[in-house]
Amino acid sequence: MSAIESPSVAAGKAAAGAGPKRGPAPRPVADRRPRFSKAHLKEWAWGYAMIAPLFAGLVIFYLWPIVQSAYFSFTSWGVFGGQQWVGFQNYSSFMSDPQLPRAAWNTVKYSLIILAGIPLSIVFAALMNQVSGKYASLYRVLYFIPVVTMPAAVAMIWRWLYNGDYGLINYLLSLVGIHGPHWVSDDRYTVWAMGLVGIWSSLGYNMIIFAAGLKNIPRQYYEASSLDGAGRIRQFFSITLPLLSPSIFFVSVLSVIGGLQMFDMVLMMLGKTNPALAGSKTIAYLFYEDAFVTGNQGLAAAIAVVLTLVLLVLTALQFRLQKRWVHYG
Amino acid sequence: MFRKALVLAGAGALALAATGCSSSKSASSGQAESGPVTLTYGIWDTKQKPAMQEIADAFHASHPNITINIQLTPNADYWTKLQTAAASGTAPDVFWMSTTRIGLYAGQKQLLSLSDKPGFDNSPFPKSLNDVYTLDGKQYGMPKDFDTVGLWYNKKLFDAAGVKYPTATWTWQDVIDAAQKLNDPGKGVWGIASPDWTQENLYNTMLQAGGQAITPDHKKSGFDDPKSIAGLQYALDFITKYHVSPTAQQMTDTQPDQLFASGKVAMFADGDYDMPEYKAATGLEADVAPLPAGPDGKKATVINGLANVIYAKTKHAQAAWEFVQYLGSKEANEVQAKTGTVIPAYNGLSATWVASTPQYHLQSFIDQLNDAVPYPVSKNTAAWTTPMQTTLDQIWGGKLDLQTGVKQIADQMNAELAKE
Amino acid sequence: MGSGRQRLWPVHVILAIGAAAMVAPFLWQLITSLQTTGETTSVPPHFLPSWQWSNYSQVFHDTKFAQQFLNSVLQTAVRVLAQVLFCSMAAYAFARLRFPGRNALFLLMLAVLMVPSQVYLLPQYQLVQNMGLLNTLAGVVLPGLFSAFGTFMLRQFFMSLPNEVEEAARLDGAGTFRIFWSVMLPLAKPGLISMGVLTVLWSWNDLLWPLVVVNDDSKMPLTVGLSMLQGEHLTEYPLLMAGSLLASLPMILLFLAAQRRITEGIALTGTK
Repeated sequence: MSAIESPSVAAGKAAAGAGPKRGPAPRPVADRRPRFSKAHLKEWAWGYAMIAPLFAGLVIFYLWPIVQSAYFSFTSWGVFGGQQWVGFQNYSSFMSDPQLPRAAWNTVKYSLIILAGIPLSIVFAALMNQVSGKYASLYRVLYFIPVVTMPAAVAMIWRWLYNGDYGLINYLLSLVGIHGPHWVSDDRYTVWAMGLVGIWSSLGYNMIIFAAGLKNIPRQYYEASSLDGAGRIRQFFSITLPLLSPSIFFVSVLSVIGGLQMFDMVLMMLGKTNPALAGSKTIAYLFYEDAFVTGNQGLAAAIAVVLTLVLLVLTALQFRLQKRWVHYG
Repeated sequence: MFRKALVLAGAGALALAATGCSSSKSASSGQAESGPVTLTYGIWDTKQKPAMQEIADAFHASHPNITINIQLTPNADYWTKLQTAAASGTAPDVFWMSTTRIGLYAGQKQLLSLSDKPGFDNSPFPKSLNDVYTLDGKQYGMPKDFDTVGLWYNKKLFDAAGVKYPTATWTWQDVIDAAQKLNDPGKGVWGIASPDWTQENLYNTMLQAGGQAITPDHKKSGFDDPKSIAGLQYALDFITKYHVSPTAQQMTDTQPDQLFASGKVAMFADGDYDMPEYKAATGLEADVAPLPAGPDGKKATVINGLANVIYAKTKHAQAAWEFVQYLGSKEANEVQAKTGTVIPAYNGLSATWVASTPQYHLQSFIDQLNDAVPYPVSKNTAAWTTPMQTTLDQIWGGKLDLQTGVKQIADQMNAELAKE
Repeated sequence: MGSGRQRLWPVHVILAIGAAAMVAPFLWQLITSLQTTGETTSVPPHFLPSWQWSNYSQVFHDTKFAQQFLNSVLQTAVRVLAQVLFCSMAAYAFARLRFPGRNALFLLMLAVLMVPSQVYLLPQYQLVQNMGLLNTLAGVVLPGLFSAFGTFMLRQFFMSLPNEVEEAARLDGAGTFRIFWSVMLPLAKPGLISMGVLTVLWSWNDLLWPLVVVNDDSKMPLTVGLSMLQGEHLTEYPLLMAGSLLASLPMILLFLAAQRRITEGIALTGTK
């Protein structure tokens, strides 16, 4: 829920104060109870029953629209209806869109920048943990503020910071003799500029999650290792990071999802008549253009399907990989 | 007595049908409007809401059984919401339409044709506006207001440089000369701002050179016409040849109207709609003159304007038509003129708007009506304007040379127009 | 953690610089809200406003602020309560119960997060319209009662809670739902509060969906009401900034109240 991103991206962005607790995640390898026993069936029934309300809503309002969209991706769907089956035409025109390679690269670049912001959040959270409670609370509120700042205000100030002639960043750079570029109107720099804003807006969220997670790590571990002579840096890498890994995993999954879906920042930071716009579009921006500007809904649906599939693969991959580095306890 | 009972009965029935839901599934279509009717009227400018409300109230006074319910949606989201609603059959009964979308909505049968309705009269409106809102011989929009473009200039900067103010007789050469004299990099002042904005700058320069953006039959692009290219070259030269304009990147970081309002550029061709912004700018002493004439002495500006349209799936076609007729009447347009925010489309009423801000020669905008050319549109304008703007951005950003870029635009445009 | 006599001032310096960067746009919003419109568009920007406190009262005049504030509160309350209930149940089931197809269903649920949200706009609009709920509170909140994200979050949380309490309760003969309701939920309070806070934030800031669904300005939430202040060519930024600043105050208060609960609660259960 950065100040800039759309609701679902926002929803996907932040994780909860789900501090990783100690204690292993229960995954009994062999189930002692006989199969299909009454207890088993009862557990099954409860399982389905408890997910039922959620799934009922998700199917009606989310999953069914996805199916509909997938169907429409195979049609030429004008703005107001009148669809005709065209098979894979939308997909092939998307794949052969000259804007695609650059857009894909921008999307990947942006997501990687966002992921690079995660270590920053961890560091800040760790630092925050070191100061006394009063200060920590104050800092926490201050770092939270971007979340409630109006997106238009965020855009305005960042645009001013990045302004090629009057902006603060270039002014500071000029003091050390560097002639700063036009950050938001030169497509060699726009994705970096947007990435920085992306990191900035998610920092507060991520820090809250990590701060809670850090609080969870028992002191004894640190005390024991200090007695053994481990310095702070060493402690960070051998105690803090591993025990924080569930939170890190969570944040990184959602950051990938959020990063790949970004497009509204392009609108807000770059604007419409911008020489850098052509080279700064993301995949989700192409989707937005087709859906709401040129009115080619079938093509937009195809883009959405491709994006979803890519995310599914990436997320499944991340879940697979988590066994290597995530410690539940 | 009998009629009163009928009205009451109708009121009761309609009240029952209308509770809870908005204009969704209630029946009663095609019947004569006997009972009270509520029409929804979609608009997008909060500044004009008071005027619209006044018009709605006046209409209600003369048509007591029709109530108008104004729905305001901010401009940025208006089309998203309208598109969603129209695709679902729930768009407002009457709503504002722009020249860039009229082709889409009318072509996809989302609007009722007005020209075959009883009592239709479009004579009080400029022909160019009527033309823009006409498709296949039928007019779908009742013009509401219009915008033209003028040459705004900063009096203080002109005085300081000792340059005479622009007049109606100025030509391109006069602008170039003045810009060169006014340009003062030492003080951070440019002579003119020449962005790749089409409505304010490029469409007009192309026309002044004798070219055009699109042929009048909306079938072919005019970008590859050498005269159009000359018009584009003139605008581009301010940046690349004479160096009297901020670069495209500079004008993206800081919008040209902001630069003008802050006294950083001496001249800027802009529409009448930015007048409130300049009026409110602190320390700006400005004025406006008609656009200069091209090399052959041709004067031109595009004219753009909104229109009121009726949703094809409205349940109250008759009442909606009565309201739209009223919106096109002299009284309604006078209300618009009073507020000073827009120039009403009704001929002869612009004087009130002109008088609203006497410090500017707003008459410049009105005088140009004679040279006004309809805004370039087609059935799906956005399909070609989007890539066109991208390519113009490339040209203006120095990544593409003009000749190649123009060919690209023309090819793309013709490809899209062929699909229509 | 690190309770030695180390000097903390480098930490403070870093945190303070970071905090300044975080807060700067908010301060800018505050400054802009006290300027005149003419001042906001000038270049270079003015840092000292002309103290137009009247902008704040003007907001109440130009929008139905109080009514829309209540609408926001109502919509948010309903959505948060429903989500906490539905998501915690489903999250517990995914984390702790075994049933065929569990992992597949979980992945299916996650897929909802991977679709660009604009894909849902038109279908959800038509669903709500078919139910006759356009322009109503029910129509606005309905899709938002169900959240894949909240479920994912809480599942992570449940998965990291210790088994022992649950097994003890089971040995005592408690049924599945009883365990969930009386044992696991209280343990999960910090997670629920966090999820609640995030959901409140999302719901409070939600703009596009209510904008499309609601037509009457008396039924709009605050975000939509404030967006109406944008004019076509000239937006009175000071008013807009003032209004959204006022709108953000409840969120800040909520965070202040909740953050103590979160970190306290977690710290308590963390020590074993």
